[in-house]
Amino acid sequence: MKTKYVIATVVIIVLIASAAFVYVHYQGQTADSGLAALQNLVDDDDYKTILTAYPEKIVSVAPSATEILYAIDAGDKVVAVTDYDNYPYDFAAWVAAGNMTSVGDFTDPNLEVITSLDPDLILASGGVQVESVDTLRDLGYKVLVLDPTNIDGVLKNIELVGNATGKRAEATALVNDITSRITAVENAVANEAKPKVYYEVYYESTSSWTIGAKAWQSELIEIAGGTNIFEDQQIDYYQFQVEALIDRNPDVIVLPASGMGTGQLESLDVVKARPGWDTMNAVQNDRLYQIDSNIIERAGPRVADAIEQFAAFFHP
Amino acid sequence: MSTDEVESTFFRRTSRWKLIVVLLVLALIVTVIVSLNVGYAQIPFPDILGILGKQIPFLDGLIDSSLISPQNAAIILQIRLPRILAGVLVGAALAAAGVLYQGVFKNPMADSYVLGVSAGAAVGASLSILSGIGFVFLGLRLVQVAAFIGALSAMFLVYNISRVGSRVPVATLLLCGISVNFFLFAIVGLLEVIASDELHSIVFWLVGGFSNVLWRDIWAILPFIIIGIVAAYFYARDLNLLAMGEETAHHLGVNVERSKQILLVLASLTTAAAVSICGLVGFVGLMIPHLTRLIIGPDHRILLPTSTIIGAIFLVICDDLARVVATPFASTLELPVGIITMLFGAPFFIILFKKKKQSYAA
Repeated sequence: MKTKYVIATVVIIVLIASAAFVYVHYQGQTADSGLAALQNLVDDDDYKTILTAYPEKIVSVAPSATEILYAIDAGDKVVAVTDYDNYPYDFAAWVAAGNMTSVGDFTDPNLEVITSLDPDLILASGGVQVESVDTLRDLGYKVLVLDPTNIDGVLKNIELVGNATGKRAEATALVNDITSRITAVENAVANEAKPKVYYEVYYESTSSWTIGAKAWQSELIEIAGGTNIFEDQQIDYYQFQVEALIDRNPDVIVLPASGMGTGQLESLDVVKARPGWDTMNAVQNDRLYQIDSNIIERAGPRVADAIEQFAAFFHP
Repeated sequence: MSTDEVESTFFRRTSRWKLIVVLLVLALIVTVIVSLNVGYAQIPFPDILGILGKQIPFLDGLIDSSLISPQNAAIILQIRLPRILAGVLVGAALAAAGVLYQGVFKNPMADSYVLGVSAGAAVGASLSILSGIGFVFLGLRLVQVAAFIGALSAMFLVYNISRVGSRVPVATLLLCGISVNFFLFAIVGLLEVIASDELHSIVFWLVGGFSNVLWRDIWAILPFIIIGIVAAYFYARDLNLLAMGEETAHHLGVNVERSKQILLVLASLTTAAAVSICGLVGFVGLMIPHLTRLIIGPDHRILLPTSTIIGAIFLVICDDLARVVATPFASTLELPVGIITMLFGAPFFIILFKKKKQSYAA
């Protein structure tokens, strides 16, 4: 009889122990997969950042990064943005009301403001911010550099920010949404003829600027069923000869509705009246469109909006 | 020397001058025609002649333009021609103003920067870009009008600060000019910091160039530049006498202060007109007068017209280079003309200067 009790006790102990082990093991695994992601945050700088916990205070010094944070429901952790940030909320008004801190200029964010906030994570972009990023890393701050050159890069960055903030499900959902919207546009324009598109960056009496193949807008134009008229130019933003544009004769002209102009763009008639532009197909067929340059120029979660808008211009 | 000899030297010299001016004018015309061929679009020369001929009354009926594309006609008549003429006008204006500044100040470093004229134009342009107002006044856009006003105001500011009684000594004028120049460029720097969206516009404007100059821009600045240069020519003799010292000039019957005043106004007027359409294009006003002096000599009666024409030729060639640099690579790229003027102008000037520096040491 005694043996029976011993066996039963051993079996019960083994069962409880197994259950406990499985439970502990399972717990460990969930914690581990999140932490593993925090251990391996590789950004566009190829810099590996290691976080020990999900950040509670995030400073975003790039408007595109701010847009990503709010789009994946991590906006409540944002404590400071730049003066350029204006989406998804009017951050300037928040700053004025004291509900948000500004780190000032995008090209030269105020390091004293950033250090005084003592953030757990800083999201920056590349290019002009490289020096600030180096300084912040020297000061011991965790900085993720988001500097995508194409749509894949944007999607990767959304996943990266999702991993860093513990919003992995939201990030995946956003990526899937963007991908499916882009695919829908691609399918819709697949059999359409591709118009030659001129994308304006800046036009003044002193110089004119547009985009070449290496600018990321070129890819957006391509996906939306158009061809950047300067896609053979292996360069990003550059000063070009307007006579080349007249010679190539664009079918569609896209102009920034805000941003770089000097107030000259109050009406498209001004554009049509530029010297020699009346010979262009786009002007003769009245196919000039204005677009909020923030949507196009920020490599952020509104990339699908940008492509849908382009597609509406190219294939009305 | 007998009167006859003096007279014959004078006539030999003036006929030599006439020859130089005629040759330079021919060189300018050749430069303009050659420049019409320069650019991204490959337009055959006969087509260019056809396009131009079509514009000439009585000749237009004789030309068969059916083979000329409207794009090419637009490129020649609305892009290249105004741009080349802008180069002619701006180059002429900056070089002529350079001669006047250097002559009045008797200082080889004097140019439109010294009086704060360029800086004044930059402040005016930056303010108007920041204001975001787009309006057109007498065919000019606000940024151009503002640059013009800024340039003239800076000059009057400097002139009045440096005035001692009724005289304006060159030393105080230079020092005030340089101070005001730094001060105004500091303001431009401040405005650039404040400007966020408009920053590019300010920076691009300051770099200078005349890629998209309109015909109406040319008509707007033409009277200022022609009147400025022609009027200055009547003071060439005064400039020669000023070169001997203000005292001497005074004794030889020059109303020194008045001449200086008028010459400065004329120089600033032409500079302001030029920078109002092209932004800040550096080095032309400084280099061309020296270059011309080394080749032609210091007499302002010939220095002023020759500098004017050489300045025009130089800037048109620089603008050609700005367009042609990328063409071999099938590129539509264009360089800012201000970079070309300095990049090609400075070494050329240094080589010439090295050969002839004895004439400066003397």
